[in-house]
Amino acid sequence: MAKGSPPSLVSSLVRAAALWAVPGLIGVTLALGLVSRNSSYRSFDESLESAVLGLIASVESDEDGTLRLSRELPEPRYQRALSGRYWMIGTIEDGREIIPLKSSRSLYGASLPVTSATISALDKQGQDPVRFTTLGPDLDADERLRVVALQVVLPNMTNPVVVLAAADRAPVMRSIRNFILAAVTLLSILILGTIFAVYAQVRLGLRPLFDLGRRIADVREGRAASVEGDYPPEISPLATELNSLISHNKTIVDRAQTHVGNLAHALKTPIAVLRNEAEAAETTPSEIVAKQTDMMASQVDHHLRRARAAARGQAIGVRANMDPVIDGLVRTLPRIYRDKDLTIERKGDTGLIFRGHPRDLEDMIGNLMDNAAKWTGSRIDVFVRKVEEGVCIVRISDNGPGLTAEEIAEALKRGARLDEATPGSGLGLSIVEDLADAYKGSLTFSRAPLGGLQAELRLPIAVDP
Amino acid sequence: MRILIVEDDEDLSRQLRSAFKDAGYAVDIAMDGEEGHFLGDTEPYDAVILDLGLPLIDGVSVLQKWRADGKKFPVLILTARDQWSEKVAGFDAGADDYLTKPFHVEELMARLRALLRRASGHTTDTIELGDLMVDNRAARAFVDGMAIKLTSHEFRLLSYMAAHKGRVISRTELVEHIYDQDFDRDSNTIEVFVGRLRKKIGTQRIETVRGLGYRLLDPDAETTD
Repeated sequence: MAKGSPPSLVSSLVRAAALWAVPGLIGVTLALGLVSRNSSYRSFDESLESAVLGLIASVESDEDGTLRLSRELPEPRYQRALSGRYWMIGTIEDGREIIPLKSSRSLYGASLPVTSATISALDKQGQDPVRFTTLGPDLDADERLRVVALQVVLPNMTNPVVVLAAADRAPVMRSIRNFILAAVTLLSILILGTIFAVYAQVRLGLRPLFDLGRRIADVREGRAASVEGDYPPEISPLATELNSLISHNKTIVDRAQTHVGNLAHALKTPIAVLRNEAEAAETTPSEIVAKQTDMMASQVDHHLRRARAAARGQAIGVRANMDPVIDGLVRTLPRIYRDKDLTIERKGDTGLIFRGHPRDLEDMIGNLMDNAAKWTGSRIDVFVRKVEEGVCIVRISDNGPGLTAEEIAEALKRGARLDEATPGSGLGLSIVEDLADAYKGSLTFSRAPLGGLQAELRLPIAVDP
Repeated sequence: MRILIVEDDEDLSRQLRSAFKDAGYAVDIAMDGEEGHFLGDTEPYDAVILDLGLPLIDGVSVLQKWRADGKKFPVLILTARDQWSEKVAGFDAGADDYLTKPFHVEELMARLRALLRRASGHTTDTIELGDLMVDNRAARAFVDGMAIKLTSHEFRLLSYMAAHKGRVISRTELVEHIYDQDFDRDSNTIEVFVGRLRKKIGTQRIETVRGLGYRLLDPDAETTD
């Protein structure tokens, strides 16, 4: 791709897909992690709360204030030393610390550290459990415990006791981490898969366009005359338009080549004759003749090349304002035919735009008006009217002698000249007809109301926006 | 009659100079737009033949400048450009006629004569003054139907005076209109030419107006000045 050109359609579409897919999937991963962590915490806390309630149900106090359990908690880890599952029952001393009265065997004689902030929270909460995190007795394992504590008043006891159940957080944290890792892995695969799927989909969707590009290249390189193949409804109008563009261009190139060929052939013969003369003669003028013919030959070559290049490159999308062309001719013809005292009257619509090359418009209207000026007595009428959307007529009539049907047919023959006495190349009218045909217009002749010939051109004009 | 030809093609301008000299004109040549504009601006030409595709300044601009400066001499555009828009631009710039190349010298001469005729108010190429007839087309003069032998300078003098018959023409004006730029100008030679012309067409036909110049008498018209 050239520097500075717009990015490819495929990469734009893939990037656009990635723009919503990647943040979306990252958001989903974060939300899933949060939900899973909360639910793990909740079930963890619930198991601790049920342990606290179990302890409260089974603890009994003697009259001397000694506590004992009517039955042990079913969880065997409370019996094994430093297992990660602990419980403790104690009383609050001075509102600052908890003096253990009874604890699980797993604590191995140690106690669960409780801060004074937790103690004041217990006082504040009353019957509701307090949850907090603290360091466990297994100092080697850097144990972090989740603790649920509840303050209750036991029968036979004057002071309330605090019942605490604790469990190591590490297994829960591990399972949450594992879940998030698995989720991230799976979602990354999903993101990559989505991007690849979008890429494949876009390539597939654009395949008719790539195909069209190859077909156009075939036309350009001469392997095909037009864009072939069946295309989806979205692209088929493009192919149709391209074909009409190609055929339009071909018509123009053919026309240019015909004209240039005619010009070249017309010039080549006299050049050959003059050159032969120049070689045969030895007097001074022969140098001039030779020089001039060389110049003619180089001009012909130059113009041939230019015309071919121009025919390839242009002629589509050109427009010409009709008013200046007609007004210029109306101004100029009386000066060219000064002896005739011409009166040219312009009528009809103004502001129309011819859909074609300004020079072609000049050639058509100019030749017809010039023809009228040659033959007219003194009067020429030029009438322009838009007759339907995109089409106008230009009617040029004079008060000269007019033409019979046979004379009109004769006049339109290529290169024909109606009256040798009237100056002109004789190509005027047939050029006008060729040009009108090339623009899918027409040229017709009839008798003018003024008495002479009336020429009517039908031409394409720009459609009003 | 003195004309200016502004044409950058050396061979063509040389051919035109020789053809117009043969036809009895004083001819100046300019090879580019700048020189052409300068000559037209400073010399009193009777007509100009102007090419459009010129070096330095193009023909249309030269013509526009002349017209803007109030130069009224007739201008014939002689060019290879045959598009209608170019003809329109030429006439809009102030051209009096337009001829496209390739052309026949006879047609160019006929058109130039027509321009000169229009400029001097005549309708034909021949001007008659009683039994004296000046044929500008053939570059000849006749008295009583008999052709008289004239040199090119004598014919130019007669043709110019005939185009302005009945008007007093100063020596300077005659010098300016019958000699081309390269000629060694000496107004005394005008007296010599007038003297020789009088001998050939009749002494009484050219009147000397002391201190002002000469007048070719038209026996068919009342002179006013």
